[in-house]
Amino acid sequence: MAIYYFTNTGEPCTSFEVTGEDLMKKGMAIKATVPDGIESWRLSYDTAAKAVVVYAEGQDEAGALAQRTTDAAAQVVTDKEKLTADLAAGEAE
Amino acid sequence: MSNLSKILGGSTTTDPRKEGLPLFGMWGGSSDANTQMQFRVFDSNFRVTGSPWGAVDGTTTNYRFGILADASHAYNMKDHGTDFHSNLTTEGYSSWTNYIKSLYQIDQYPHCFHYTASRDGFVTWQSYHQFTSSFEYQVGWTKLNQVLPEGVRPRRTFTNRRHTMREFMGNSDCNCDYYTYTAHLIDPSPLNYSTGTGYNEKTKTLVMIHSGDESGNTSKSIHIFKSSVCLNEGTTRIKDFFDNLTSTEYFTDTWTNQNNKDWCVVVGNNGWVGFGLKQSNSKRYGVFDCNVKGTGVDITGASRQFETWMDFAGSTTTSYGATNGHQYYTKFQTTWDGTWGMIYSPYYHYGVGINAFAMSLENPRKFININQTKSGRANPYVAWGRTGFHGGWSDNCDSEVWQTYAFAFDPKDTDHTIDTRVYKGSTSGEGAMPDNNSLVGGDYANRTGVCSLDAMRTGLHGGTQTTNYPMLMGINWWGSYGKGDASYGGK
Repeated sequence: MAIYYFTNTGEPCTSFEVTGEDLMKKGMAIKATVPDGIESWRLSYDTAAKAVVVYAEGQDEAGALAQRTTDAAAQVVTDKEKLTADLAAGEAE
Repeated sequence: MSNLSKILGGSTTTDPRKEGLPLFGMWGGSSDANTQMQFRVFDSNFRVTGSPWGAVDGTTTNYRFGILADASHAYNMKDHGTDFHSNLTTEGYSSWTNYIKSLYQIDQYPHCFHYTASRDGFVTWQSYHQFTSSFEYQVGWTKLNQVLPEGVRPRRTFTNRRHTMREFMGNSDCNCDYYTYTAHLIDPSPLNYSTGTGYNEKTKTLVMIHSGDESGNTSKSIHIFKSSVCLNEGTTRIKDFFDNLTSTEYFTDTWTNQNNKDWCVVVGNNGWVGFGLKQSNSKRYGVFDCNVKGTGVDITGASRQFETWMDFAGSTTTSYGATNGHQYYTKFQTTWDGTWGMIYSPYYHYGVGINAFAMSLENPRKFININQTKSGRANPYVAWGRTGFHGGWSDNCDSEVWQTYAFAFDPKDTDHTIDTRVYKGSTSGEGAMPDNNSLVGGDYANRTGVCSLDAMRTGLHGGTQTTNYPMLMGINWWGSYGKGDASYGGK
């Protein structure tokens, strides 16, 4: 496990202690413990639940990237469906 | 206050290069880039600056609707296909149609890789034919980083490679001036490869790095040229600058660098010079005293350096720079008023998020880290307002307003011994204008402080009715400074 500092909105900020503690002192960061070996893009902090969230938890970096690609492709399909529905709704009006 | 107060008045002595406050374009299109498409140009107050023309909703034609100003000989209306929508997560330089959204798309020059866009709302996409042999794609990294007066972006394009400076017309592949300065290099063992050059117009100072190669060689020879002639003066040739040198000094050093094409050189008004680059997934920034010391004095880097090299202190992950393709060279931009600059590269892969050092252009020893950790839906960053920057938030905003990552500095904040103040926005009015006396933003420690950017709402919709993923675009000309438009000072 490692120490990591998030912004007050839960976004990844820094792993550097000097920087993180200075931000903490100024009320601009949240200190949390995160799993080792996780790239920062996969990390966030749920400020309501007060817990670290790991994207594609349980997977390694390659698996997380693959998940990222899968999720993006799914989003494209969802977008397309929404566009079609919006257009149909517009024509019906 | 800066000279912003003069913006409505102007004067007959105003520099003809001086522009009004920054504009930006916002492109919105449906996911197939077919049935809906809109492009608008906004000022820094998020007010539209041109007549809303050419927008299309619900058509079934595949053509470009008249929004675009593509050259009549453009070979195919589908040059850029439907890929304005692409996520730009892992897509690389072989996926040019995705790369258009990259943070790497724009630097401080008023032109960019993939398009030109006028403030009236005309966009012309560059053709993909021969794209990989274009000036920006191959040798954009040789352009000078310039510190210029308030409201001025580079209007002449100077490059430096080996021992030769050239002038180009914008980003065309034709040069119009040439000068080999080998005779002016005073390092007794000059290195052959120019790999980063900065120019300060106020002090007429040119600082260039020479390295042992154009890849990872760490040997460095830095020359500092001062002239009585301004390089950017309308009729000045490069030779004229060197013919009128008032001082030439150099120092040598060994600098860690993954790829020499990434170096940016920021020549401060006070004679201190910041050198920065993307270094693997991180960045490095160091500051050296390039004031006149005398012949043969302080010819080592150690004798001139401010403290030590600073590694990026924000959050990093896998990201790509010049070592992955020379077009991914580290970028440099300045605020409209020319008081703050930013050396930057993406946080994630080929152009998403931002990792940056922002520095005072009066005193480059004053610098902080800028951090934003998106992993999809990229956008370039451009100057915003008087003393700030913003980059777009291009997640789909068909059900909420468009947001930017906007932030601003204090133009008088030049003391590197005190924290740097950054002003930020919020996703709510109460957040931006709270019912208390607290600062909306933060004060960040010099060198080690990290400012993580927050999204703020603009009140703009995404440009089309659905699934729009808006794209922020640079604009060639922000309008002549001092003209009638009260919003941004230009027209």
